[in-house]
Amino acid sequence: MNDEMKKKINDKYEASIQNAERFWPDSIYKDLLVAFGLFILLIGLATFLGVHPEPKVDPTDATYVPRPEWYFLFLFEFLKYFPGQLEWVGAAVIPGILVGLLIFLPLYDKNPLRHNSKRKVALGIMSAIVSAIVILTLMASTIMTNMIAFILFLLLAGVLFFSLYKNPEKEIAWKKPALWVASFAFLALTGVTYQQTLAMAEPTEEVHVASSVPEKMSLGQDLYSIECVECHGPDGEGGEITVTAADGTEEKLPVKSISSNDEMYTRSDESFYEIISYGQPSLGMPPFGGAHGGELSPSELEYIVTFMRYTWDDRADVPEGAVTSAVPVLAEGEVPSYEVHVEPVVKRQCLSCHREGKENNNYLMEDYAGILNNGDNAPNVVAGDMDSILLQTIQGHEVEGVNGTIHVMPPNGKPIKDAYIDIFIRWVEAGMPETAEDASALAE
Amino acid sequence: MMKNIYAWLDERLGFDDMYKMLLDRPEPHGNWWNTLGSASLFLFIMQGVTGIFLTVYYAPTPDHAYDSIQYIMNDVAFGWLIRGMHHWGASLMVFVVFIHMLRTFFSASYKYPRELTWMVGSVLFLLTLGMGFTGYLLPFNQRAYWATVVATNIGGVVPGIGPFILRALRGGTDVSALTLSRFFSAHIWMLPAALAGLIGLHLYLIMRHGESAYPDQDD
Ligand code: HEC
Ligand code: HEC
Ligand code: HEM
Repeated sequence: MNDEMKKKINDKYEASIQNAERFWPDSIYKDLLVAFGLFILLIGLATFLGVHPEPKVDPTDATYVPRPEWYFLFLFEFLKYFPGQLEWVGAAVIPGILVGLLIFLPLYDKNPLRHNSKRKVALGIMSAIVSAIVILTLMASTIMTNMIAFILFLLLAGVLFFSLYKNPEKEIAWKKPALWVASFAFLALTGVTYQQTLAMAEPTEEVHVASSVPEKMSLGQDLYSIECVECHGPDGEGGEITVTAADGTEEKLPVKSISSNDEMYTRSDESFYEIISYGQPSLGMPPFGGAHGGELSPSELEYIVTFMRYTWDDRADVPEGAVTSAVPVLAEGEVPSYEVHVEPVVKRQCLSCHREGKENNNYLMEDYAGILNNGDNAPNVVAGDMDSILLQTIQGHEVEGVNGTIHVMPPNGKPIKDAYIDIFIRWVEAGMPETAEDASALAE
Repeated sequence: MMKNIYAWLDERLGFDDMYKMLLDRPEPHGNWWNTLGSASLFLFIMQGVTGIFLTVYYAPTPDHAYDSIQYIMNDVAFGWLIRGMHHWGASLMVFVVFIHMLRTFFSASYKYPRELTWMVGSVLFLLTLGMGFTGYLLPFNQRAYWATVVATNIGGVVPGIGPFILRALRGGTDVSALTLSRFFSAHIWMLPAALAGLIGLHLYLIMRHGESAYPDQDD
């Protein structure tokens, strides 16, 4: 740029600031207003949307699909077009060139003219790049980011139209075409957003992440019931397990209590975590941690440990609101229902064996219908029949079934608590109501 | 009394000059788009303030990072608010800085004599992205961990220097305690220091050249 041009620009600028505005007090209010608006927006976002909880790191879980922050999504998507050997072109060469072009823009854009009608090439290229970034971002985004993007478009389009109409210079040659282009771009983006949202409509699996101790305890309790009860008993009291050795011989092994004070006082949370993760293969306990071939994540292991500690350790301060025993006590004359009484007992005492993939005469007890109708010897419960197979077995009687003896239930260790047996008996007696309403209707 | 203190300070600091330089600047007529630079600055300051509060409880080790964040969210008074604002502030800042950049592009403000303002600005944009990248790992949850594994892997595919980039980013072959402490230090010391310094330069240049006027037909 020659000195003459520079002088022209500087003079024009000098003229434009004569009698124009002062930062203070003319325009600073706008800056303050925008800052204040952003501040409120931040508080609103933090309060109403919060931060999405995520589970603890599990380096063994290679199935986890990582997602970068939304503003890197376009790169992520862009890289998909450069598979294998070419990846570095998409990862390093092209972004590197673009970054260089961005930084040094004023050095190679030698066009001294500033009005938009005189820099069509520059505007065209920039618009193309920005559109590409926006479209790549949408292609890679989830419903949530799509929604946010959509709202932002609306806002942005609004602001754009507004500022085009309100522009200080009234007659702008490119105003009409600009409005047309903006409208078309907006429609196209809306279309892409809509189509992307539809494409992703199938719900993705949500992992529940516990944050408070009561929540962790209850998740831990569920996991314990399913994974551990068959060997350690519902209260960690232990018992006996049968292990089949490599040569097919069966051997009965005692399992000591894991809920005794002895155990609770001598083992730290870390050591419980390690034992459960690692298992005790030599003693008959399989590993549960993903790192050692099991299927529990670090968060899940932590929930189990929290459950054990707060339930069995008499020194633990159980936080208010924590449910230590989820089985409600049955009052005199009350009729138990599946929902309120039977389900929690089954979950804690029976489900660890009576679920898919275990030996149980196909008696899957996962839901109400299953308890009534499943099993090789179904029905195992018959309304009003005090000789129902289920009632017999939990009261210590073996039953001859179609394919051999049905043992006492639960087969190892102690029988379940008398209060629980009572729940089953009174439930069958009353006709096995499913919901609390059904039960109270029967009680009348 | 107050007057005396004011006079004493003014004599040494020069409030008048400051007022002229910082506030009483003449500007061409602008519009709301001109607020985005100061909005970026505001968000940078907010990130600094909330970030400093977070470091009170945050522990940058793989064993404690996750739990310390849980603690901030559940047990520290208003911890959830501070973390929420820092979390959303990061996204918002990237967005606002980006729009600010587009505004200066479309109003052709980067041309003579404001070339350097733009160049410093684009480095600021890259640094802002860097803050987002390094901050993402700090909660050390599944998402953070795997996103960082993938992102640093990408650095590793560059022929020749790839393995070096990978090791420099991770501090070893895997994403580990060393990666976390590297990212932490970059996130709270190196990048903010660079940002603060360059923002100072950026603002100096703006005061020196004044805000650009919106171009008209003859420009
Ligand atoms: C296949 C049966 C089996 C399952 C399932 C099982 N364990 Fe074990 N576990 C054992 C055996 C056997 C031992 C060794 C007991 C002994 O030393 O008396 C043991 C030991 C333990 C110990 C250490 C006791 C000690 O102090 O030495 C803990 C704690 C424990 N188990 C917790 C669990 C938890 C929690 C689960 C559920 C995630 C679980 N176990 C599932 C069989 C099992
Ligand atoms: C440690 C594993 C285990 C637990 C715990 C357990 N069962 Fe069983 N259950 C079995 C097995 C194995 C069978 C198959 C018959 C047999 O071998 O005794 C069975 C069979 C049954 C049957 C007969 C099903 C049929 O159609 O043949 C009933 C009824 C039953 N269980 C009820 C219960 C109830 C109620 C509980 C909870 C209080 C319970 N079981 C807990 C292992 C278990
Ligand atoms: C941390 C990020 C940034 C901060 C805090 C910041 C701050 C500011 C402020 C306060 C202004 C004056 C007000 C205004 O015109 O909006 C400004 C102007 C400017 N900024 Fe930035 N900025 C940042 C990033 C960028 C980026 C990424 C670019 C471009 C690559 C950029 C280029 C410019 C230019 C060219 C001007 C002069 C505008 C004019 O004179 O009209 N800035 N910036």
